[in-house]
Amino acid sequence: MKPRVGFQTLVRREIVRFFSVFSQTIFPPLVSSFLYILIFGFSLGGRIQQIQGIPYLIYLIPGLLMMYVIEGSYANTSSSLFISRWANNIEELLVTPLSYFEMVLAILIGGLVRSLMISLGVYLVSLLFARFPIAHPFLVLYFLIFVSLVFSSVGMIVALFAEEFEHLTIVTTFVITPLIFFGGVFHSITLVPAPLRGLTGFNPIFYMINGMRYSMLGISDVPVQKSMFVVLFFCLALFSITVYLFKTGFKLRK
Amino acid sequence: MVSAISIEHLTKYYRNFKALNDVSLEVAEGEFFGFLGPNGAGKTTTISVITGLANYQKGSVHVFGCDVGADYRTTRALIGLVPQEFNFDPFLSAEQILSFEGGYFGIPWREAKQRAQELLKLFDLAEKRHEGYKRLSGGMKRRLLIARALMHRPKILILDEPTAGVDLELRHQLWDFLRRLNREGTTVVLTTHYIEEAEKLCSRIGVIHKGSIVALDSTETLIRKMSGDQVELFLKARLDFLPVSLKSFQIFLEEEGRKLRFEEKNDAVPKILKALHQEGIEIEKIDIRRPTLEDAFLKLVGKKDKAFVLEEGKE
Repeated sequence: MKPRVGFQTLVRREIVRFFSVFSQTIFPPLVSSFLYILIFGFSLGGRIQQIQGIPYLIYLIPGLLMMYVIEGSYANTSSSLFISRWANNIEELLVTPLSYFEMVLAILIGGLVRSLMISLGVYLVSLLFARFPIAHPFLVLYFLIFVSLVFSSVGMIVALFAEEFEHLTIVTTFVITPLIFFGGVFHSITLVPAPLRGLTGFNPIFYMINGMRYSMLGISDVPVQKSMFVVLFFCLALFSITVYLFKTGFKLRK
Repeated sequence: MVSAISIEHLTKYYRNFKALNDVSLEVAEGEFFGFLGPNGAGKTTTISVITGLANYQKGSVHVFGCDVGADYRTTRALIGLVPQEFNFDPFLSAEQILSFEGGYFGIPWREAKQRAQELLKLFDLAEKRHEGYKRLSGGMKRRLLIARALMHRPKILILDEPTAGVDLELRHQLWDFLRRLNREGTTVVLTTHYIEEAEKLCSRIGVIHKGSIVALDSTETLIRKMSGDQVELFLKARLDFLPVSLKSFQIFLEEEGRKLRFEEKNDAVPKILKALHQEGIEIEKIDIRRPTLEDAFLKLVGKKDKAFVLEEGKE
């Protein structure tokens, strides 16, 4: 028996899982990103024209990409873990010799792979409308990976606390989506009234979207170092919390 | 020699409810151990603690000398669990369920797939290998559960009510299979409702009741210790109540006053026969039945008390 095989198997299982429901997991973001770019980019783009010297349609793309990374990674891990709890097949995993660290990391990687695939797909969709050089490709990868891990962890934590499926969507509707929209997917912080601008500084997604915008276009409302720090901090903190919950068996062990 | 399973003073609470109370037991390597108890007695909870599905508050649990908490990776690799409920991955086919299980236990993918094929064939599931578990019959699901637990060739196989809801033919097939597995060296721990199953398969038995171990012995000794021969006297005429002279014996009036039943101990037979003769009660037939595990079990878990209450009511 080889030590890493268990971990690789669980990663494989997570990928098999979201591929088996491809039409629910990969396809919808591609369609809706196409519609967002088409409607917002073209119709609004005609009126707004440029933000910080960038055409609005192009300005929109990094924010949309980040939005789908956040939604995809959260949806993947929250539904995977909650269904496992609900169908009780989490017990199948808990009696294996996988360490809790490996269990958590493997499920997070499932979320990461799904969101990387979605972001690649959304980027390819965006190429239908506009082409531009990527300013900092390695930073793009940095934000894709760490933001995905942040929201994959959030998904796992919510799935552990949730008692019903509805609880997963409540978090999406009332927490994640408002934070994404106020985080600047469609606008720059410079366009918002001053009081709201202050509040935006407390929204971690604001740093994620701006980090991605800097990585792709070279523009941002905050220094990129700050965005990198916020993302890394949340990633480490939430990952540690998730591993801790698994170790203590929160809502997993009787 | 290190025990396959060693539990010492295990206490487990579910909030304020004490589910296990100072449970201690040992299962030797290669043993076929039966774990009996009524519903809610603590069988599944004990198994859950051994396999890592439940936390506990006091005591210690070791598998082949390794602590199930501190060395959980080692202990879990040694155990195969057949749970009571079907807990299959809903996204996978029967073959994938087995292959992935092998993978979780560190078996390389190609080898795991091969082992899965073997077990599917052994459990007569090869034709259903591409089906999800929801499309399998109850018996097939039960076989798939056992096959899954055997993927990594565990040294200990723990089965929690494996034949619940299974038809007679499959039950006997499973019994044969488990006997063979045990002969080949696998330690088997079985919880069951079917006393007959435990009596036929297990060399040693632990009885748990209300979270405490109330008996732990070899099956034969347990039966002998707990219950004498069961004597049944069929009466020529119906009795409405027990005569006063028989009150001092633990005797039960059954079948609407046509049968007297008691346990042979302390030379009860001649004494009771003498008392019946003095009362002028005639006997039509005498049956003597060797005690079974069921008699011992019922005695241990308190059914005897219930029978006694009924008998008292008739007096």
